[in-house]
Parts: sequence; C-alpha cells; structure tokens
Amino acid sequence: MTQAIDTSIYSAVTSAIQAEAQRILSEGQVSAVVGYAPARRKGSAQPVVITEASDAGKLIFSASCVNNLAVYLTKAKKEIPKNGKIGIVVKGCDLKALVGLMGETQLKREELHIIGVPCAGVLASTFQPDKALTTETIAPKCRECDAQLPQGCDFVPPQQPVTQALEKKYAAEIARLEALTPAERWAFWKEQFSKCIKCYACRQVCPFCYCEQCLCDRNKPQMVETSPRPAGNTAWHIVRAMHLAGRCAGCAECERVCPMDIPLNLLNRKMAKELKELYDYEAGFEIKEKGPLSSYDEKDDQSFIK
Amino acid sequence: MAKEKVYMHAEKQKHSFEPKIIAFVCTWCTYAGADLAGTSRMQYPANVRVLKFPCTGRIDPVFILKAFQQGADGVLVSGCHPGDCHYIAGNYHARRRFAAFRKLLEFIGVDLDRLQFSWVSAAEGGKWVEVVTELTERVRAMGPMNEFKELALDEQWSGKLDSPELKEAYNAI
Amino acid sequence: MSRIGVFVCHCGENISRTVDVERVAAEVGKLPGVAFSTDYKYMCSDPGQGLIKKAIREQRISHVVVAACSPRMHEKTFRKAVEAAGLNPFLCEMANIREHCSWVHEDREEATVKAIEIVGMMVERVKKNRVLPTITVPVTKRSLVIGGGIAGIQAALDIADAGHEVVLVEREPSIGGHMAQLSETFPTLDCSQCIMTPKMVDVANHPRIKLYTYSEVEHVEGFIGNFQVTVRKKARSVNEDKCTGCGVCMEKCPIRKIPNKFDCNLGTRPAIYVPFPQAVPNTPVIDRENCTKFKTGKCGLCQKVCGPGAIDYEQEDRLIVEPVGAIVVATGFDLYSITEKPKGSAIKGYGEFGHGKIPDVIDGLTFERLASASGPTGGKILRPSDGREPKQIVFIQCVGSRAREKGISYCSKICCMYTAKHTMLYHHKVHDGQAYVFFMDARTPGKNYDEFWRRSIEEEEAVYIRGMVSRLYQKGNKIVVMGSDIAVGVQVEIEADMVVLATAVQPRIGADSLAQKLGISYDKYNFYSEAHAKLRPVECATAGIYLAGVCQGPKDIPDAVSQASAAAAKVMTLFAKDQLEREPIVARVREASCVGCFACKKVCAYGAVEEKEIRDRQGNLIKVVAYVNPGVCAGCGTCQATCPSKSVELDGYTDEQMVAMIEAL
Repeated sequence: MTQAIDTSIYSAVTSAIQAEAQRILSEGQVSAVVGYAPARRKGSAQPVVITEASDAGKLIFSASCVNNLAVYLTKAKKEIPKNGKIGIVVKGCDLKALVGLMGETQLKREELHIIGVPCAGVLASTFQPDKALTTETIAPKCRECDAQLPQGCDFVPPQQPVTQALEKKYAAEIARLEALTPAERWAFWKEQFSKCIKCYACRQVCPFCYCEQCLCDRNKPQMVETSPRPAGNTAWHIVRAMHLAGRCAGCAECERVCPMDIPLNLLNRKMAKELKELYDYEAGFEIKEKGPLSSYDEKDDQSFIK
Repeated sequence: MAKEKVYMHAEKQKHSFEPKIIAFVCTWCTYAGADLAGTSRMQYPANVRVLKFPCTGRIDPVFILKAFQQGADGVLVSGCHPGDCHYIAGNYHARRRFAAFRKLLEFIGVDLDRLQFSWVSAAEGGKWVEVVTELTERVRAMGPMNEFKELALDEQWSGKLDSPELKEAYNAI
Repeated sequence: MSRIGVFVCHCGENISRTVDVERVAAEVGKLPGVAFSTDYKYMCSDPGQGLIKKAIREQRISHVVVAACSPRMHEKTFRKAVEAAGLNPFLCEMANIREHCSWVHEDREEATVKAIEIVGMMVERVKKNRVLPTITVPVTKRSLVIGGGIAGIQAALDIADAGHEVVLVEREPSIGGHMAQLSETFPTLDCSQCIMTPKMVDVANHPRIKLYTYSEVEHVEGFIGNFQVTVRKKARSVNEDKCTGCGVCMEKCPIRKIPNKFDCNLGTRPAIYVPFPQAVPNTPVIDRENCTKFKTGKCGLCQKVCGPGAIDYEQEDRLIVEPVGAIVVATGFDLYSITEKPKGSAIKGYGEFGHGKIPDVIDGLTFERLASASGPTGGKILRPSDGREPKQIVFIQCVGSRAREKGISYCSKICCMYTAKHTMLYHHKVHDGQAYVFFMDARTPGKNYDEFWRRSIEEEEAVYIRGMVSRLYQKGNKIVVMGSDIAVGVQVEIEADMVVLATAVQPRIGADSLAQKLGISYDKYNFYSEAHAKLRPVECATAGIYLAGVCQGPKDIPDAVSQASAAAAKVMTLFAKDQLEREPIVARVREASCVGCFACKKVCAYGAVEEKEIRDRQGNLIKVVAYVNPGVCAGCGTCQATCPSKSVELDGYTDEQMVAMIEAL
C-alpha cells in the first residue's frame, strides 16, 4: 500500500542550509558552496556552485535533490575554485562517498565545510520531480538507508526526519538472484548487460571513478573491449563492480543515471554485502586508511582455497 | 594405484571434450612446485597452460576474466601458502582480492567449479598434480565454458533488427 | 618489427622423447614475428649457446625464446648468452617444455601440441618485452649478526677479521649462548668453557665488532646492501662505560634467591647479576622484576656500594638505528620443555615423563650444568631433590623428536651424541654408577662420532636398551622407569635415581616474529628456510640475509660453526663489490595517469612507495603521485594488481606481456 513519506522538514532544512551558506561565505570561511538549486522543470533540482553570499538564497533541499555532489570535488571540479575551503551539501549517502574519498587521499577533511542534510529520502529516477515522496516513489537506495542523519559534519540542521521501515528491495533482489542457478543468473545479467550502450554515464557520475585514465579505455593492452558489444559490456560491468568493491557505499548514482535502467547498484550492494560478511567492513562510516581490499588479516577466510 | 595408471595410459581414454585450463601461478612456490612434479616425473593431464607471475599479489582479477574470454574452460590461481610468501604478504592481499572476485563472478552467473584457488608450495609437486588433475577432470565433466564465448560472438542488436515493431516502423517510412 | 629467434632444446632425450622438437621448431617458425627457429640437442651447452649467439648476429634476431627446461634452471644461462651477443638479457625468455611438458606427459601428440602452445605463448610475451637496464645499488659494508651463540660469534669474528664492521646483537645480558652452558663437548671431550670463552673475549676486544647485549632487533627496513636495523637496547640499569665489573654490587644485593636461568634454575643469583662469571661483557644487569628498588623504591644498596657510580636506576630502553648491508641470523634454539607447552608451539605436549613434577627428571641441558665444573654443584652429579649422588641413571632419547603424533617429525640430531657423552661424563664422575639409555636408533654420522658412541658402550659401560619408555613414576626416592627392550622382546623396569631426557631441539620461541621483521620465511616448526636445501643452504630467499646455526635446523657445534663461516663468506662475497647489481624487475609509476589514491602504498609490504609532488614551472602543486623507490621495491607486483588505473607497472611482468600470453591461448 502506498503511503506518503513526510518531507515537511525539507523547507526548514532549506532555510537552514541557506543561512549556513550565507554565513560561511560572508565570513570568508569557504570560497564556494556546492549545493542544490531549483531547475527548470517543475519541482526539479540541479547541482549548483555558489561563490557569493548573496546567492545563498538559491540553495534548496527537496526530494528531487538526488545528485551525489561529492563528484564535484574530484573529477567534475572544473567550476570549483582551486583555492580555499569548499562547503558542500550532503545527504547521509553522499557523505559516505566523501568519507571514502578522504580515505583515498582525494579530499582533505580540513579543506571541506560539510553541511549535512537530515534526509527522509529522495525520489526514484523513474518518477517525475514534481511527484510527492511516497513509499512507491522513493528511491530504492533510500529504502535501506542507514544514514538519514549524517554524522561528523560541520553543520546539520536540527530537524529530525520521520522515518519508517520499508521493504529492502536490493537485499530482496540479491537474495532472489542468489537462490537461482548460475545459468539463470548468467541469463539475467546477460539480458541486463546486453542493454548497455557503453555511454559510461555510470562512470562519469561515480565519485569513486576518479581515475584520469580508466583501465577500460586503455589499448596497450586492451584489458576490456571498448565497443558496446555484449562481451565488452559484461567485462566493463564486472571490472567496475570489482573496482568499487569495498569503496562504494551505495549512493546509487550509477543506477540513477543509467539510460538503459541496468540495476548497477545491485552489483555494488552485493559486493558490499560480501565484504561485510567476509571482513566485517562497511564503507563510508569512518575515514579509514585502508579498505578491505588493500589490507589483510593473517586469519582471513580461505575455505575456498585448496 | 600405479598399476591402474599404467593401464589407463595403455587404454588411453579419448574424451570427446578436452578443456582448456589456464593456471596463474607465482614463480616462487607453485611454479617451483610444478617444476618439482616434472623432475619427479609425475603425470597429469596436458590441458593446463601455465602463466608465471612473480607473486599471486600481481595477479589482476581482470586476467581471469580475460582468460575466460579467450576461451578458457577452467582457471587455476595458485601461490605460496600463507606465511610463506616470498614477498611477505602478496598472497594475503591476493587471498582477499580473489575471495571478493569469486563472489562477484558467482553472482554474475559463473559456475565457481570452473575457478580453482590453491596454495601449492615449491615442495608440493604431488599437490600440483592433484589440483590440476582434479580441476581438469571436473571441468571436462562440466563441458565447455560457453558463456563468455557466446558473448564474444553476440552482436548488440542482433536478432532484434527484424522485430515486428521495427518492420512496421520501416514500412511506415 | 621484432625478429624473434626460437631455439628448441632436445635436452638429450629428456624433451625429445615425448615432444617432437622438430615439429615444435617448424610450427612456431610460422608464427608472425618469428624470424628464425631451430632445434638442438643441448641448447645450454657451449655449441648450443653458440647457436643462439650466431643467430643473433647473422639473422639480426631481436628477441629470443629458448624452449627448454624451467627458467628456474637456465634462465640466467641463456640471458647471459644473449647479452654476450649484444642483446639486452631481458629480451630473452624461456618456454618451459621440460618440467611442465615432456616430463609430465606420456602422449607424444598431446605433449607436442602443448609444447607448441607454450612456445607460442612465450613468443607473444617476448614481443612485448622491453629493454631493462640493470639497476645498481650501493653496498653498506657493515654486517648485522643476530645472536651471540657460537654460530653468531663465529660469523661475527670471520666478517670482522676480513676487515668489515659487525654489529652483534644478543638478547641475553651476555654472549655465549648454549655453548657456554655445556660441560664438555663431543667427540673430543674438551671443556666447552675453555674453547668458548676465548672466542667471547675476542668478540669483546675486536675493534670492528660493536656488541649490543641485552638487546633485540626491533625493526628492519631496506634491502640487500642497504638495511636500516633498529636495535632496542634494553635498560640494563648499569652504565656500561663506568662499570668495572668488580662485582661488589652482586655480593651486597640482599635479594639472593632468584633461580639462575643460566644454570637451568638449579643455582640462584642476586637481583643484580651477570649470568655466569665468564660473561661478556662482564657488566651486571638489574633484573627489574625482582629488584626491591624497582618494586618498592627502597633499598638502593648496589648504588651505594658501587665505587665508580655505575648504577643507574633511571636508565631507559634505547632505540639505535644501525645501517648494515647484510644480516646473519644465528638465533639458535630452545630445548622443548615438556613441562609446559611453549606458546604458539606446534608441539602437542608430552606429559608422560614427569618432567617438572618429579624433581630428579631433568633435561639434557640441566645435566650439562650439573656436569660442568663451573656449574651449581661444581661439576658433581647430584640429584636436584636431595643432593645425593645417583647410582642408577636412565637417559631417554628422542623425547619429542621423531614423534609425529606429538607434532615433531624431525630428528634433533645432537641427542644421540650428547647422551653418549653424558654416559661417559657420568661414568667418569660416579665410578660405581650405572647408566642406561633407552633409544630408538643411534644416529652417529660425523667424524669420530660413531667411535665415540661405541666407546660409551664398550669402555664406559653404558647399557643401551633399544626401545621406548612407556611409563615413569616416583616410588619412594626412586624413579621407576618401565620400558621395553625390543631387541630381546622383554619388558624392562629400572629403579633409577635420576632420569635425563633428551628433549627435542626447537627454534627459539619468537623465531617467527623475528622472521616477520626480517621478511624471511620459516617452516612449520619456525626453523628459518634456506633459499635452496642443497645449493644455497646458508642464504635466505630474501637477498642479503644469511643463516647460521640451529635457527635453520638442528645441528651440532662443528656444523653450526661451519655454517657460520659459510654465512660469513657469503657476506664477504657481497662486500667484495662496491655496487650491487639487482634484477630490474621493479615497479614504475606512470605519473601522467596516477591520481594519487595510494592504494599501491597501502599494499606495499616493503614501504617502497613514496609520495611525490608534481609541480609546474612556477612551483605550483599540480598533484601528488606515487613514486616507487627502485632500490626498495622487491618486484612482487601487488601494487599493479591493486592500482585501479594501472598507473604502476612491474617491469618484466607488464600487463601487455601478461595479456599477450593470455591472448595467445
């Protein structure tokens, strides 16, 4: 049964973000703030970089503020001033990406002013931005969110999101696939990957795909076939999932931007689940120098090794 | 046991399918172990092709993928026992990497019976023979690994070009 | 365009028996890029190598594949040959068609097809091989020796006598090790102290030996020729520069009843002590756990009586960094204590001999202390329980050793001989006594060893009983030893006054943690592993680290000394050069694509990855990238497999080379 999700705090949150942005910009604490602003379509939002305190009023937070802005601090940082501290508006899921990037020496905590958002959820990409947030229209990632209130930020508006337990779609889908035979799973993924047009939107939007030259673009040697054919597509998605294993904390931007609706976050969630089970590791909660795949324990499981 | 082997060879069984097995091994332990199997004149199926790496730590998961794409029916990754790594900890890193990677492949739908990991030391010529023989026989029984081969042959939109919708659209032009 | 030469070896008949080598040469000759292919009876022989050199010169061969035995056998040989003909040695690869093909397959067709594929793979690989320059690193001509027992002392003296500085680190307050504890040594029965102490003094007086006693290796960094070793010099509480070794402090110390470890806890010592009178250095140590001053803050008597004012209660552990070029590990052994299982030991315990419960059941080393003229009894064989002279004594061999079910399958090597010696010493000191020995086999290879063992039976009247002891228990002041004599098939029961157990030799407790600091490998018992059991018995697989003495495996004094001198010779060989050539298999960073995530740095076990700033001409920081120090890199390639953008590549095992091989399949 579809139920409305309470997003009434978002207007107060918006004001709080505006006030904070106004303060830090006018006090000169930061040289820019990355946040969300209304976009042209009704109810929609888009990322914005503001450098003047007078622009602080442009900032909003709503259920259509879906983007993970962390990506603007790494490879998409063209519009970000090079010098000075940067303010950034983050949801709990986005914060996990920031934390991961700090662990990978891509960002420095002292160079950021983090404005955390108390978040009750955002819209799924399959719904129009003016839709109300309901148990039906909420993004799948929000259904299993464990970070509605971001921790360790420089500023978090005092509002408390009203949350309710929702059915975990990724967990359910992973369990469904795990119960299939290998051949059935292969058929599922073959079908999914055959849709891929190699637009690399998943790569563009991912805060962790910050390599200057992707392994998959190399031609000496060609590790992964680049043309949008099934063999290369499959290889690309396997390599992508492997490279994100232990790093991806589930902002699900890859899945949101995929024009072919490939359930990309499913692979990431599966890897996260395995790494949690194997090494009790969860990405994104604290800045860790070493991830699960760049560290080891002498007593690690090796039941699969003869 | 030995008698049985001789008999097997005299009546050399012809199999309808001979799998291609690729082994990624480290130079210090497993490669040396395979050398020992040779100097001890042990016998094992001729299906395996060995790629020597300095350490299992050097083995990129992409190589496994690549091997399957190149037509391998089974892949073996083998290195030094824990604590014996010539490079201190390469095998520990490899252990985690492959623990994660095999889970991914499994989820994608690769039958993990085709992917074997083992520790074979320089002194374990016998174990090398055992591991290679077992994997070869298992994969032989499973038949060819067609999944990746089929992918390589598939065209993206093939089969859909003459769909009724497309035909209708074409006719309408 | 590469002009590859392929050289297929028959290896006599070793390869050609199962592989049609002519066909291999013909088939691979058709591969693109192969300009020349041939086969020959013995490629590694002089004419065989000549064939390769001639082809390089006359056929303008640019890359070489030798299809023969394992590269572990002859890669060096062929790379040298190729180099002699003017090619970079790293443009030569070997295809292993012997160990991995002809020797393991019987079917000629199958083996031939496999050989063709193996060679084909290597042809594709070698096309991608790059010219690699030899890397040279300077050699620090100083050596570290870990362990001041006879092996460590011998190695240190040899290296120092050759003119190189030596840092000798010993864990105990004095050097000397186990040999200093022994009474007399087989097979000559010369007094251990008499031959050992002069060597200890030589160490102390050697101008090129820097001695750290009561010290441990804390941390090791670096690589062959360039190690940085951090030594923890534990607080002695006595200033070594001021102490004259007069011993007044030890005489006046009011705490006197601490069991002396050197005497296997038979004698006692004060809280400020030297382990034994001939200790080197003759500087006491305060045992802080037992000293009243450290426990309660009172006393301070030793400080009051010390003339030179050497007592320093404030002294702290010091960490000293020593640059060395080579390391000799000579950490020796512990006797397996059957009373309590050492922590982390693979041994499953040995309860039945009453050691630790029956006071007159002792181990071989305790017997040495009893028999030693400088021991707690002045050399008299007396029972620890009541000080009486034992008239019937039983020696039990192979306690722990060769007992697979107990977790040790090896032979401890020295017990047969020292037990024979013990029966002699006993007979010399207790003329009316009788010694019995329970044994499985007598293992007495060695110069004058078997003669010595026979003497113990034929002249010294020891009774050898072949068989094991099944039970042993205290009965009044006797120990009843029940066993079987399998030679005659009867049960034997002896009422003994004392029982001596030849307990197993095992590596020092903690040998594994030292190995981890050094980056050397060890077996399941924690004995350190040599690089090759036969041909490189004193070298570790880790370059620049050498082994001497029992830490590598059980051995007696002559063997330990021989190995120590061999290790010293290896160190001198290393030090004979000013620059060291090393294999250029090292990782290199492609700075253009490196984004500085430092995943490589996180997985590098050698600390070879550094951070490097890239700046523009104005000095503005553009980015921070990884830099691999080629001197430190060991060439495992874990960084490359970890790097998401493959911006670090291991020379000799590049992605191009490895993928070329996979694609050749």
